[in-house]
Amino acid sequence: MAKLKPFPMPKWGIEMSEGTIAEWLVEENRPFDKGTLLTLIETDKITNEVEAEAPGRFVRIIAKAGETYPVGTLLAVLSDGGEASAAEIDAVVAAFKPADSSFEPDTPVPSPAPVPAPAATPAPPPVPDDVAISPAARARAADAGVDVTGISGSGRGGRITAQDVDQAARAPTEPHLAGPYPLSPGGTAFASPMARRLATLHAVALDEITGTGPRGRIRKADVLARLADAAPPPPAPGEITVTPMSSMRRTIARRLTEAKSTIPHFYVRRRVRADRLLALRAAVQGQRPSVNDYLVKACALALREVPRLNIQVHGTEIHRFASADIAVAVATERGLVTPIVTAADQRSLADISATMAALAQRARAGTLKLEEFTGGSFSLSNLGGFGVEQFDAIINPPQGAILAVGTARPEPIDDDGAIRIVPVLHLSLSCDHRAIDGADAGRFMVALAALIEQPELL
Amino acid sequence: MAIMNIREAISSTLMAEMERDSSIIVLGEDIVGGAGTAGGPEAIGGIWGTTPGLYAKFGADRVIDTPISESAIIGAAAGAALAGKRPVAELMFADFVGVSLDQLWNQMAKFRYMFGGKTRCPAVVRLIYGAGMNTAAQHSQSVYAMLTAMPGLKVVLPTTPADAKGLLTEALRGDDPVMFFEHKTLYGVKGEVPDGEHRQRFGEARMVREGGDATVVACGRMVNFGEKAADKLAADGIGIDLIDLRTTSPLDEEAILDSVEATGRLIVADESPPRCSLAADIAALVAAKAFTSLKAPPQMVTGPHAPIPFARELERAWVPSPQKIEDAVRRALAFR
Repeated sequence: MAKLKPFPMPKWGIEMSEGTIAEWLVEENRPFDKGTLLTLIETDKITNEVEAEAPGRFVRIIAKAGETYPVGTLLAVLSDGGEASAAEIDAVVAAFKPADSSFEPDTPVPSPAPVPAPAATPAPPPVPDDVAISPAARARAADAGVDVTGISGSGRGGRITAQDVDQAARAPTEPHLAGPYPLSPGGTAFASPMARRLATLHAVALDEITGTGPRGRIRKADVLARLADAAPPPPAPGEITVTPMSSMRRTIARRLTEAKSTIPHFYVRRRVRADRLLALRAAVQGQRPSVNDYLVKACALALREVPRLNIQVHGTEIHRFASADIAVAVATERGLVTPIVTAADQRSLADISATMAALAQRARAGTLKLEEFTGGSFSLSNLGGFGVEQFDAIINPPQGAILAVGTARPEPIDDDGAIRIVPVLHLSLSCDHRAIDGADAGRFMVALAALIEQPELL
Repeated sequence: MAIMNIREAISSTLMAEMERDSSIIVLGEDIVGGAGTAGGPEAIGGIWGTTPGLYAKFGADRVIDTPISESAIIGAAAGAALAGKRPVAELMFADFVGVSLDQLWNQMAKFRYMFGGKTRCPAVVRLIYGAGMNTAAQHSQSVYAMLTAMPGLKVVLPTTPADAKGLLTEALRGDDPVMFFEHKTLYGVKGEVPDGEHRQRFGEARMVREGGDATVVACGRMVNFGEKAADKLAADGIGIDLIDLRTTSPLDEEAILDSVEATGRLIVADESPPRCSLAADIAALVAAKAFTSLKAPPQMVTGPHAPIPFARELERAWVPSPQKIEDAVRRALAFR
C-alpha cells in the first residue's frame, strides 16, 4: 500500500499568511522524481517554486490554480509512488489538521523554519542482500534512508558497521581548529605536561606548588587550585572597594584622555589571511618567534615603504623618523606599558624576538629604563591572545598611528576564486588626521597586508 | 650542552656510569669489538657501535663477549644482578627476546616479588629493535608491548640523545630490571645532551609539540614520524599534542588523559601489529577513562597483522609513516 502524506500550503517567512497557487506543474497521478518542480506559489513578496523532496505522485490535487489559500491549507495529497484508493485518500483528507491553524500573523512568535511542504519520507533504498553489513547497521540504513552501496565499511573485510552508516547519514563538518600552541618550557619542576602548560599560560611559578600526584608530581589540579587561591575573594554583596589610582594608572589616564580628546582619530580596517604566516612560524625549529614578533617586523618594513606614518606629531611640527621604532603594548600587573623595539626595520626576526622577550620581561618586572619606553614612531597593540577579534586603539602620543590586532580566527576567504577557510587577522589602524591622510593609511595597510600574506618577505 | 647522536649518548653514558660504579658489567654478542677485530681502540664496539672503547678501559672482567645465546645472556645477567652486580645485557636484535623469556619473564621480573622483597634485580637489558633497515621478519620487530604487559619490568624507549642519556642513567641507578629499547634507525639522531649527571624519571612523558586539535601518542621512531606529521598539519592550522611516552611501563596516563580531555581526539602511533598492541592498550585506556571527552573514535596507526616483509617496498608499506599519522589525524577531525 502506498504511503500517503498531506501537501499543505507552505509557510515561507514569519510574515507569510496566505499563498496563491499560480500553476500546478505536475498532473494528478503522474509519477515524478526528486527535484521535479511541482507547483508555483505566489505570496505578496515572491513567487516560489516548490520542488519534490522525494520521488512520488499527487494522488489528489485539491487546490485550484489561481486561488488563494491560508498557510497550512491542504492543497493536495502525496503518495510515495504507489497508487491509492479513493477511500484511503479521503481518510487522509479527513484526518488533516492544518499545522498552522492557530497561528496569528501579528504575534511575534518565531515560526518553524520556512521549509517547503513536507513531502513523503524518502523511500529507503533497499539494502542489497550481498552487502556485508551488521544487522544494526542494516536497520539504521533502512531507518535513515541511507544508500549503503557507496560506503566502504570499516569492519573486517570491509563489513559496514552501524558507525559507518551513522557517518554516511551525517553531513560533513568542518571542525573548529584550535591550532598549534607554543611548546611549554621544560624546566626542572616535576610536573605533568598539562600542569606545565597551565602554569605557563597563567604565569604561575611551578616550584612554589606542592604536587599531589604520585611521588609528589604537580598535576593539572594543583595548578588550578593555586589559580583559585590567587583569585581575590569576592567582595561581600553590595560592597564597593575603593582604591586610589596608582601614579602609573594616573599617567595612563591623563595621556590617553589627552590623546582621545585632542587628536582627531580616524580608523582604517582590513582583514588579512594569516595561514601562511602561521605555517611559516610553525615550521621554525627551536625557539619560535611569537606571532607578535612577526607583526613588529611587518609593521617596521611597511613603515619603511610608507614613511609618512613613521612620525611623531609635536604641535604644528611633524617629526619624521629614519628608522622604525615600534612601541609594543605590554599588559602588566600595574598597567599598560609600551617598551620600544628600536630600528625594528633593520633587525632580524630572531633579534626582534629576543629583544621583545627581554623588554616584556623587564616591563612585567617594572625594571624598564626610561629610554626603553619613551619615544617610538609607531605603536602596536595585540589582544589576539585574549581571543579578541577586532578593536580600535587610542593613539599613543606623540606618535602618529597605532595598529590594533585581533586573534587569528578561521574565516572564509576568496583564494583565487575558491572559498577556503583559513586563519584571518583583523587589523585596525588608528591615525592622527592632523598629520596623516586616509590615502597614506590605506597605502600602509596595503604594504602591511602584503608582508603578512607573503611572510617570506619578513 | 654537547651535540651528539643517540649512539654516542649511549656509549658515553655507559662509559661514565662504569667509571662511577664498578659493579656495572656489560655483556652481549660482539660488544667488545665486532667481527674480526680485537678489543682495543680500533674496535667498533659491536655491530651497532654503542660499546666502543669499553673493553680497552675496563677489560674482560667487565666487558664480556658472549656466544649467540640470548637465553645465556639474559640468564647470566639475572644471576649477576642477584649476586650484586649491575649487568647491562645487550640483545643485538630484540626479536630474539623470545628464547630468553623464561629468564626475563619468570625470573628477573619476579625475583623482588617472589622473594618477599628481600632481593632486587638491577639489570638493564638493551634491546635493539625496529623496522626500516631491510632486516626482514626476524630482525625488525618491535616487541615492547609484550614486555610492557609483564609486571615487574620497566620498559624504556628513548627517542632523543638527551633522553638516551637521562633514561639510561636512571636505569643504571635503579634497583629493578629495565628493558631499554633502542631503535636501530634512530642511532644517528642528533641533539643536545646536558653535561654532567642527567637523569630522566620514568613515567614522565615528553610533550614534543603542543596544539589543541588532537592528541598523538607515540613512542620510539613513531615520535619522529609524529613530528613530521605535526609540522605538515600545522601548515594547515591544525595543532596537535604530540606525546613521547619515553617509558611504556610505567605509563604516564595523566599526560595522555589530560591532553585528550583538552583535544577530544586520540591517535596512537605504534610500530607493531595492531592486535594486543600498545596502540590498543592506550586506545582502551582513553575509551575507558576519557570517553565523554572524545569527539571521534580513537585512531590506531600500526602495521598490519602480518610479519614484516623483507622486500624494501613492502617493508616501507608495512611501517606506519608520517603520512599515515597525518591521515589518521585528519580522519579524526573529519569524524561527524
